[in-house]
Amino acid sequence: MLKTPDWELMIVWYFFLGGIAGGAYFTAAIADNFGTVRDRAVARTGYLLSLPLVGMCGMLLIADLGVPRRFLNMLAAFKFWDPMSIGAWMVGVFGLFTFVSSVLSFTSSEKMAALRRKIGLVGLLFGFFLASYTGVLISNSAMPFWSDARLMGALFLASGASTGMAAVSLLMFVTGATAGEGWGKVKKADRFSMIFELLVLAAFLFMLGSAAKPITTGHFAPLFWGGLVAMGLVIPLVLDLVGHRVRALAPIAAVLVLVGGFILRYVVLMSIQA
Amino acid sequence: MARTLAMFTDTSLCIGCRACQVACKQWNELGLEVPDWTGTYQNHTHFTDKTFRLVRFIEEPKPTGDLAWLLMSDVCKHCAEAGCLDACPTGAIYRTEYGTVNINQDVCNGCRYCVSSCPFGVVSFNETTGTAKKCTFCNDRIHNGLGPACAKACPTDSIQFGFRDDLVTKAQKRVETLKAMGFKDAQLYGADSKGFLGGLNAFFLLLSKPSTYSLPEQPKLPQRNVVVDSLLSVGSAIVIGLGALLAFRDREQGDGNA
Repeated sequence: MLKTPDWELMIVWYFFLGGIAGGAYFTAAIADNFGTVRDRAVARTGYLLSLPLVGMCGMLLIADLGVPRRFLNMLAAFKFWDPMSIGAWMVGVFGLFTFVSSVLSFTSSEKMAALRRKIGLVGLLFGFFLASYTGVLISNSAMPFWSDARLMGALFLASGASTGMAAVSLLMFVTGATAGEGWGKVKKADRFSMIFELLVLAAFLFMLGSAAKPITTGHFAPLFWGGLVAMGLVIPLVLDLVGHRVRALAPIAAVLVLVGGFILRYVVLMSIQA
Repeated sequence: MARTLAMFTDTSLCIGCRACQVACKQWNELGLEVPDWTGTYQNHTHFTDKTFRLVRFIEEPKPTGDLAWLLMSDVCKHCAEAGCLDACPTGAIYRTEYGTVNINQDVCNGCRYCVSSCPFGVVSFNETTGTAKKCTFCNDRIHNGLGPACAKACPTDSIQFGFRDDLVTKAQKRVETLKAMGFKDAQLYGADSKGFLGGLNAFFLLLSKPSTYSLPEQPKLPQRNVVVDSLLSVGSAIVIGLGALLAFRDREQGDGNA
């Protein structure tokens, strides 16, 4: 009989917030480097959002350890083939990037802004990493369903992008930073990410076949089909397509995407551990 | 590296006395657990953080209609390619000079990746110490010229301890003997060092197919797909990145400034 690692709610939150942090950061870095001056609000919002989220990620990871005071033991080894080992290192390294980018997002000097953009270009690689490695981590275990899912990392990355962008657009709405064209661009990028996530999810389920049963049938099926597929992806896309002229619908769509992203991590982790 | 040590468990000799299970508990000071009453003689149902040796009591239906008793003393396999060892991010899980796999209790920080990476469900988490636990191959004993406590206690030599190459030769002869006696399904599990997680340093002689004993027919290394999964993630990142790049490059559209 195989044993489950008992990675429960704290790890669900970690996977979820790590995805948002990674997604928000690489969206910010792309906006910073390839957008116009008027997209600056996107960059600043994304950088500033990723910083506290990575901090929370680190705390969740440490709190979930059997012996939290030994968390530094993770940094006593470096195994390039081991997702858990690289992951522990990268949370720290990515944390540094979010900190420096956040600080530099307040600069008024053009020289420092150029430096921030360059840092963002490197940091976005770590953002992509944080959003996806958690999927690769669980798909390289002995657990059924997890270890059968070759697209787990790709799916988590797409979800990290859609939730990260949703979080940025929601935060911009709440803080009233929707005046420039940046807000519309984030929503556009988010729309693309959601469509891509649906495609990856379809391929994920197709490749798994009957191995996807823990989430597609039984106890977790309503949450998966209703919570993630319908409420977390299809409805926000419909809201976005038919109601993109109605401002009030945008935050609703963003919240739904975020809830869907949480549900994805929840059903994937809990379905075979419950 | 010293010559690889191994344990050979010949299930055809097991009488189900559980002396190995008790000896393991005593030597390693593992403590008591509440028994699981499941309608069989087997206790416990699976490995725990306090049960490193476990005698399985299996009732297999025979073609004649009655049941065959299959008894098997199960243990950590000390795989040559060990999933738990590869998964461990702290280096707490290490290989000894004798080829056995051990967990350094002073280094383990309880991340539990090894628990989910064992193809046999051996590694267990201990809530009290906050660390992962499993059979140590009696690391203290083998470094002082003694065999593991379970092998020492076994009254029928069902558990044998020695150098791996010697034991494999012995085991192969034993399979021949049993086949000649009419046990047509007699087979070795994990003795072959090719393909089978590099060979198990605790290997078995079974009287029926592995799944009868709740053993995977073909255990696989959990880390075998890291490269493929990572490349697919990179592909996903490129698509997402290009999408975002195009969204921010496009200066004509954008519906936020209505």
